[in-house]
Amino acid sequence: MQAGQIPILRVEADTIPRAYEQAIKEVWEKGISVRTEYDRPEDPPSRDATAVIVVRDPFGQPRFHRSFADGLGGLAEYVMEVVHGAHDYWVKPIEEILKGTDSSDTRWTYTYHGRLFEYRVEEETIDQISAMIDKLAGTGYTRRAQAITWNPKLDPPTDDPPCLQRVWGRLCEDGMGGFVFNMNTHWRSRDLFKAWFENVIAITTLMRSIADRIEKKVGKPVRVGRYADISDSLHIYGSYFREIEGDPEKGIKSFFEKLESRSFEERTWHSDFVKPHFIDDGLGKGLKPMLERETEMPSNVRQAIGQELRSMEQEDYVV
Amino acid sequence: MSIFERIAEQVVAGQAGEVKVLVDQALSENISAEDILNKGLVAGMNVVSEKFKNNEFFIPEVLVSARAMTAGLDVLNPLLAAANVKAKGKVVIGTVKGDLHDIGKNIVGMMLQGAGYRIVDLGADVSKEKVIESAQKENPDILGMSALLTTTMVYMKEVIQGLKEAGLRDNVKVIVGGAPLTQAYADKIEADGYAADAASAIDLAEGLLD
Repeated sequence: MQAGQIPILRVEADTIPRAYEQAIKEVWEKGISVRTEYDRPEDPPSRDATAVIVVRDPFGQPRFHRSFADGLGGLAEYVMEVVHGAHDYWVKPIEEILKGTDSSDTRWTYTYHGRLFEYRVEEETIDQISAMIDKLAGTGYTRRAQAITWNPKLDPPTDDPPCLQRVWGRLCEDGMGGFVFNMNTHWRSRDLFKAWFENVIAITTLMRSIADRIEKKVGKPVRVGRYADISDSLHIYGSYFREIEGDPEKGIKSFFEKLESRSFEERTWHSDFVKPHFIDDGLGKGLKPMLERETEMPSNVRQAIGQELRSMEQEDYVV
Repeated sequence: MSIFERIAEQVVAGQAGEVKVLVDQALSENISAEDILNKGLVAGMNVVSEKFKNNEFFIPEVLVSARAMTAGLDVLNPLLAAANVKAKGKVVIGTVKGDLHDIGKNIVGMMLQGAGYRIVDLGADVSKEKVIESAQKENPDILGMSALLTTTMVYMKEVIQGLKEAGLRDNVKVIVGGAPLTQAYADKIEADGYAADAASAIDLAEGLLD
């Protein structure tokens, strides 16, 4: 490809961990070298590509890779943040964001849940996910069921604008009297090595929640279909290269050697193994510790997470 | 395979339930709590630390193993206290005020615990006042501070200054870590040590208390 052209990569796999590994390999081998706002002067330029990643069965097992930048309890809390708005109460009121930056105020400027479920347009708050569900329940084949996050007034001036831009979904008949819910997400920018996997676990849990809500509305089975994940800039930061390349002189394995030295089963977890850690990881994270720790969480959110916890404690619930 | 090797193996595999069963079994065979701790649980966490250091284990696996070790420790702790078994040292750790990132701090805490230290974890978003209160109450050998953001790491200097003003600075070794930190920054704020990663934090603690 001509110098300066960003490559466009395509990865397709049955499960999330398979897609994740293939994507890392593709971006590492075929990505362009380019600087980002987050690189430190001593870091090499990041590896970067535009990418389309398809997961044919988002709840296929094993669903969890063991390589991500948190613990399982922390991941569970992030899922609650995206699906139920666990941390919407950490976000600054929009009026304060518009006043300007106060470096001592460490509250957040957005959450994905906040933007998707409570998008502000002037004085109005719009639940875009409920609107998507209503639209799809009415006309499954519609191409207009989508939710956006970007706020052109709030986001350009901030240091940390949302990466997720848009969620789009469509129902297709499954030929057995039910439907398949297909979902695409579009991302402006994406840390492949340390954020992609957690993003996808959370967003596909949201995908299932949308499918379940449509199913209740239409009174017919709606199963989770393929998930397509589209990133304008899918990157591996230069600061991670040491971790990816390892250090042969010190006997430190490269990321790819680490993958090759273990079977796929040994570098992934099944949802059954993960579930107790989602409930309580024994280290202060997970749904139970979160509800105990975050006493200021609004009661309606607490109720939703409590309900999720009760569902999770049922045998057939898949995290 | 000995009972100690089986406990260590299950710690490495992150099987909390199995570890608890094996620890109970070892106790029923009249093996001392101290031996179960050192030859089983700590031995297992040492394997995990080594694998993590050599880039053979992923971060979530370390935490899953730590949970398994904690399941065994919960059984042993009352017995260890009754037998007056001493830890290698006491470490108070926390992520500084304004910073909610605690994964690095948790890994360091778990690895130090696995290496035989007693950990008092103050959590994330920890104020100077809370650190000073803990330093007075717990009288730790080491204070470990973590930050993931350039905007929050500057608070470490305030904490060290607070310790000086409270007359506690000479009583405790201060170690710092986190993605934006460097040895130069640790020197600048007059910390006693800097660790680039969790495995180095153990070596650092051992060196400072040697």
